[in-house]
Amino acid sequence: MRLEWSEADEAFRAELDEFIDECAPPEAKAGRDFTDGGVDAEDRERREAIIPQWARDWQATLFDHGWMVPGYPPELGGRNATPVQTLIYMEEMARRRIPRSLHFPGYAIVGPSLLEFGDDAQKTLAAPSIRGDIVWCIGMSEPNAGSDLAGLTTRATKDGDRFIVNGQKVWTSYAMVAQKCFCYVRTTPLDRAPKHKGITVLIIDMDTPGIDVRPIKHITGAEDFAEVFFTDVEVPAENVVGTVDDGWRITMGSLAHERGGLWLQSVAMVQQAVDDLCAMAKRHGLERDGGVRRQLATAYEKVASLRALGYKGFSSFAQGSSAPEHSYLKLATSELGKELWELGMQLQGPYGAVVDRERGDEHGRWARAFFVSFANTIAGGSSEIQRNIIATRILGLPR
Amino acid sequence: MDFSLSDEQVLVRDTASSLLDRHCPISLVRAGIDDPSASDPLWAQLREWVVLGDGSLVDLCLFLEECGSALAPGPYFASAALALPLARAAGGDELAARIQAGDATATVAFAGEDGEWVANDDPVKTFVLEADRVDTILFVDVGGRVTVAPGQPGARQVGSLDFTRRLFEAAVPHDATVIGTAPVDEWLARATVALAAEMLGTARRLKDAAIEYAKQRVQFDVPIGSFQAIQHKLADVSVAFERAWSAVYYAAMCVDADDPDVVRAVHVAKAAAGAAATRAAKDAIQIHGGIGYTWEHDLHLAIRRAYASEHLMGTSGWHHDRLADLLLR
Repeated sequence: MRLEWSEADEAFRAELDEFIDECAPPEAKAGRDFTDGGVDAEDRERREAIIPQWARDWQATLFDHGWMVPGYPPELGGRNATPVQTLIYMEEMARRRIPRSLHFPGYAIVGPSLLEFGDDAQKTLAAPSIRGDIVWCIGMSEPNAGSDLAGLTTRATKDGDRFIVNGQKVWTSYAMVAQKCFCYVRTTPLDRAPKHKGITVLIIDMDTPGIDVRPIKHITGAEDFAEVFFTDVEVPAENVVGTVDDGWRITMGSLAHERGGLWLQSVAMVQQAVDDLCAMAKRHGLERDGGVRRQLATAYEKVASLRALGYKGFSSFAQGSSAPEHSYLKLATSELGKELWELGMQLQGPYGAVVDRERGDEHGRWARAFFVSFANTIAGGSSEIQRNIIATRILGLPR
Repeated sequence: MDFSLSDEQVLVRDTASSLLDRHCPISLVRAGIDDPSASDPLWAQLREWVVLGDGSLVDLCLFLEECGSALAPGPYFASAALALPLARAAGGDELAARIQAGDATATVAFAGEDGEWVANDDPVKTFVLEADRVDTILFVDVGGRVTVAPGQPGARQVGSLDFTRRLFEAAVPHDATVIGTAPVDEWLARATVALAAEMLGTARRLKDAAIEYAKQRVQFDVPIGSFQAIQHKLADVSVAFERAWSAVYYAAMCVDADDPDVVRAVHVAKAAAGAAATRAAKDAIQIHGGIGYTWEHDLHLAIRRAYASEHLMGTSGWHHDRLADLLLR
């Protein structure tokens, strides 16, 4: 048990910092506001720039310099970093609030999945996907398949040397700008096999006739994702990733070696929120209020202990365990985030619900962040699902 | 921060666990309710481990966590986690050597009449652990001056919820021997984290008891552990425990490394441990239902330990107030 990483590992951090200082564009260095709810539907200009050019260039630069996925070899945008070095990388990027990409599907899900499950031709797509040259969306959730993802019914019927796809995906991030879709489809109907045994992953080109992308405006007014309708979409059979009916395994395929550090951003976010809340309390003259003091201290305690838990999870992950800690962290940080944004609104009193460019503390940033945060306890495994997972898979309670 | 345990640390933990399994059965703990000498055979086993109080706090915490799980009564905590470090810090090497060897049991009289663990000059100290049965009591005044005097068999016991930790009032003797001055803040930080580690063990005992019960208890033809309400309760208990565990050992690492974050880390550790232990206590009894509400069932012994520990060396609320002082200065 020790607080510090080795000198060699700290040198890795210094190298990264030097690279960022030299090569990161001002937009990246400005530091992302974690509370940002996405592109406003009304904001025409930004709508065209869901992935602005500076972000595309920055991702390519990271890749070319081996800083995109440090744990990968250079040809995949990395530098063969060790697990601890990867953690340090994620620490530093989180600390400086620098995004490595504005679209995660390519590098975080598709690239690694193709490397693990794809055939030789598909594996060649991995590098450009990680570099961001190919923009992907993931076709997973459906109106009737959210938490019960295996219940998906978008159908892919074999017809000679191709599949005909019919169905609908929902909450598909980046569908508006993606060139390809990593799509989970049903190849064996529900009445013929258990639901998760009839699922196949297909690579679908988004410019294939029959695909209709309709952006969904969510509660903040932003358009982050879309519905995607498939009507008789023809997909070549060689676009199957892995084997037919064996696609469920691939839901597990992702940047497995970075799982030990995924929590860093969420913790950095709530850490920032606590700092911001303390500053806000002072601005409103509430720093002597006993109730407020207790709330802020409790928030600090939760953030600090979750941060420690994250590192503890990394240690067990680095030693080969499946690290259940990430379920704890997803659950706890998303719930805590919601609490903190709401507290920010509370501290503002009457102006807490004001969203006005010229009125209210920070012009409604906290109210907007609170609304955005509803998604965090729903998406990526809802809090209820996380608790189910913790109870059954970690605590061993019966199903 | 790196939480992996060295082989030696794993050994400390495993040794503690099997030692307490063998020598601290719940029957011994129960016997102590009416007869304090019931813990003497346990002390005979634990005395060779007092030496952990002289070394890394992480190692002591690993040992104490197991003590907390077993609800171990007796003078071990006071001697190893309170008295030995204080004697050492005050330069009382001869006394420290005897305590370390397990040849003298000892405790510290620190909290004043208001019960707060803050340095003071009150003539009567309270919440002095095991004061009537230890060989030596170390007294601390407001300037960190440490004096020693013999144990006080006639001391007035302060009735506590917790049967496993006996608390007393002890008058500061006029003729106590001065052994030196100690940096009180550092000593208290170490002691608080040690207590928090012990609390983790108690929290774990309660959590694991509830999980086990939920797996076995059948109602409506199924184990109650298959009901989502029970599952979600236990998931939340588990999260609270895991984050407290990490916070406590982070604080222990900070103490050992004299890291600048130590002050905040200690407050976080005690508050988190208190939250975890009391939550586990409440949910454990709820999940056990009627049987958990009986004197005969062992559950209440752990609940008592959890709550008394929450109130010792600063409640979660007190530690939050100290954090607020630091965050909002």
